[in-house]
Amino acid sequence: MSQATAVREQAGRKIGRSAVIEQGAGDPAWLRARRAEAWDIYEATPLPSTRSEEWRYTDVARLLALDGLVPTAGGAMAGRALPDGLRRAMEQDRESAGRIVDVDGSVVSVELDEALAAQGVVLSSLREAARAGVPEVEALLATEAVPASDGKFSALNAALWSDGVFLYVPRGVRVDRTIRLSRWVSQPGTATFTRILIVAEELSQLSFVDEILSPDFSTVTLANTAVELFSRAGAQVQYVSLQRMGEGGFYLANQRTLAERDSTLDTLNVALGGSVGRVDLNARLLGPGANSDMLGLYFGDANQHFDFNTSQDHVAPNAHSDLLYKGALDGAARGVFRGIIRVHDGAQGTDAYQTNRNLILSDTAIATSLPNLEIEADDVRCSHGATVGQLDAEALFYLMSRGLHREQAERLVVLGFLGEVLSKLPLGGVVEKVTQAIKAKLRYV
Amino acid sequence: MDDSPILVVTGLEAGVADEDLDILKGVDLAIGPGEIHAIMGPNGSGKSTLAKLIAGHPGYEATGGSVEFDGEDLLDMEPDERAQAGVFMAFQYPVEIPGVSIANFLRTALQSRLEDGEELDLFDFQELLMERMELLDMDVAFAQRPVNDGFSGGEKKRNEILQMAVLKPALALMDETDSGLDIDALQIVARGVNTLREEDPAMSVLLITHYQRILNHITPDVVHVMVGGKIVESGGPEVALELEASGYEEYRKAHAA
Ligand SMILES: Nc1ncnc2c1ncn2[C@@H]1O[C@H](COP(=O)(O)OP(=O)(O)OP(=O)(O)O)[C@@H](O)[C@H]1O
Ligand SMILES: [Mg+2]
Repeated sequence: MSQATAVREQAGRKIGRSAVIEQGAGDPAWLRARRAEAWDIYEATPLPSTRSEEWRYTDVARLLALDGLVPTAGGAMAGRALPDGLRRAMEQDRESAGRIVDVDGSVVSVELDEALAAQGVVLSSLREAARAGVPEVEALLATEAVPASDGKFSALNAALWSDGVFLYVPRGVRVDRTIRLSRWVSQPGTATFTRILIVAEELSQLSFVDEILSPDFSTVTLANTAVELFSRAGAQVQYVSLQRMGEGGFYLANQRTLAERDSTLDTLNVALGGSVGRVDLNARLLGPGANSDMLGLYFGDANQHFDFNTSQDHVAPNAHSDLLYKGALDGAARGVFRGIIRVHDGAQGTDAYQTNRNLILSDTAIATSLPNLEIEADDVRCSHGATVGQLDAEALFYLMSRGLHREQAERLVVLGFLGEVLSKLPLGGVVEKVTQAIKAKLRYV
Repeated sequence: MDDSPILVVTGLEAGVADEDLDILKGVDLAIGPGEIHAIMGPNGSGKSTLAKLIAGHPGYEATGGSVEFDGEDLLDMEPDERAQAGVFMAFQYPVEIPGVSIANFLRTALQSRLEDGEELDLFDFQELLMERMELLDMDVAFAQRPVNDGFSGGEKKRNEILQMAVLKPALALMDETDSGLDIDALQIVARGVNTLREEDPAMSVLLITHYQRILNHITPDVVHVMVGGKIVESGGPEVALELEASGYEEYRKAHAA
């Protein structure tokens, strides 16, 4: 099907019950029921308002006219040639163990190393996995991690998701090279609903990079993602999100990580593109010895608006979590970080840290940082800290006194500041790619 | 060699920018090509202020007098322009730049000296950097460390001289580079400076110090004494030796009078 026909066919669609039913055509009964239930929850849930603490700084009612968006349909884009922007981004990638490509909410290709497939690793379109009756999908899709009951957008996603990724790594299997998802949104004014479900069985290991790109749009274009990450006992999981959408892009992600005993579940959220980016990340430490490093990096200019809402839930004793989010803001960009560490009753021996640092590069950029603690156990080590600062005049003078022009000096300081985050998760290719993207952005500063 | 001085400071009065605080109260100084001048003086007498003014620190402001470098008015130039013209200051308190490696920093500094469109030869750069690190007895792994971040006091000072050795200035302002160096490091730093002078006999040095010891290794042509924002005496190396013996008391009294 050509791109034009696909768009024409979708053009009449609206976010509503009939789109949910249409989306579910061909789904197994349990999934159709789950979609319908999610839609009921969506309808019963009010749109988050700035009166609520968690949405105070992101006025979705003003920024996002849901009624006017055209939800994309799964399978609509299969088989067409990859857009140039996506192809270029993919060419920068290093070798990977597997790769899945998604255009406008439909998986268009899946590749997985044959040796891994032989060991039982599954990398698949989520829609196909659900339709093929994979038991983990029925058990874990929108149930334990990001259920519809989580909120307005989780419900909307659970009702309308068109496709996504299912990745399963069996017990003891170690996937050394990264598995990549490359996503592209091409149509202005659309709403794309994607889900990522990753299960790392006991003692397995994987790293997953989720990159989303788009051209610039003249109208608001929504990419909504629900990310469900399970690391079973002793597993090691790294998840990276690279948000590099164009202007007009509205990125809205709900991520939840469930880390069981002695497992590691690390995340990195990089926000460079789009007009609005909102990420809700909840890390749950469910077993003793679980560990989550949570990293974030954002660099906004013009009117970009990034909002991170994170929580570290220490449910089990003797678990460790460490969050570091760093952002640079230029132009009239706005950065919001709201983070909470919750140490549940009985979670003795918790080690939980949270740091948010912002670098303001202009008079009109704004950073808001709201770190928080809620502790119901007594034997814990917790700390949180937030800073909002400007470029250090001494540092700039130092660099300029060696001959660097002011812009070069500023660029180096910003790169160094943000680079600290990348140095903590040295995943093959990610550091270079993000550094390149930051450099490209700094050129316009 | 053209013997006209490379740096001429005339009647320089200066203070903290945007504040009513006079620090330099009429400084006169002329340094010829290839000359080494030392400035000694009690704490707070204005030595660092003079060096920062010459390097272009935005926190200080000249309220009178002039500074000429190679016949050009320095006070009109941005710090990067001064550096490009050949001025280098080894900081008394080097600044930490987290996340920026020494190698990356120096590569950018050298690149900034090239014409637009000209690319620094990375192989040549690497070679120069390695050679300079060897000269200063520095471990090559150092080049990958973030600038001054977590460095010991002595490491910071040595890193200043490494930068100087890579950038090869025409005028080096060394602000208490010897403070905080152990005996071996002091000799290594002195060797670095002397090597640079052998390579470029026209390189001039203004060396700020509290200790006569470094002057045994880097022999000054002129020693100045600064008290209360003024140069109150200038002479040969013997001035430093006398100070070592008798301190600043005499000068302070004379200055206060
Ligand atoms: N930014 C500033 N704000 C206020 N006072 C300043 C500032 N910079 C320098 N001063 C004052 O000016 C005087 C000269 O300072 P300067 O650093 O030049 O002294 P110095 O001769 O280098 O001393 P030292 O030997 O201790 O390094 C001091 O009294 C100092 O407190
Ligand atoms: Mg000083």
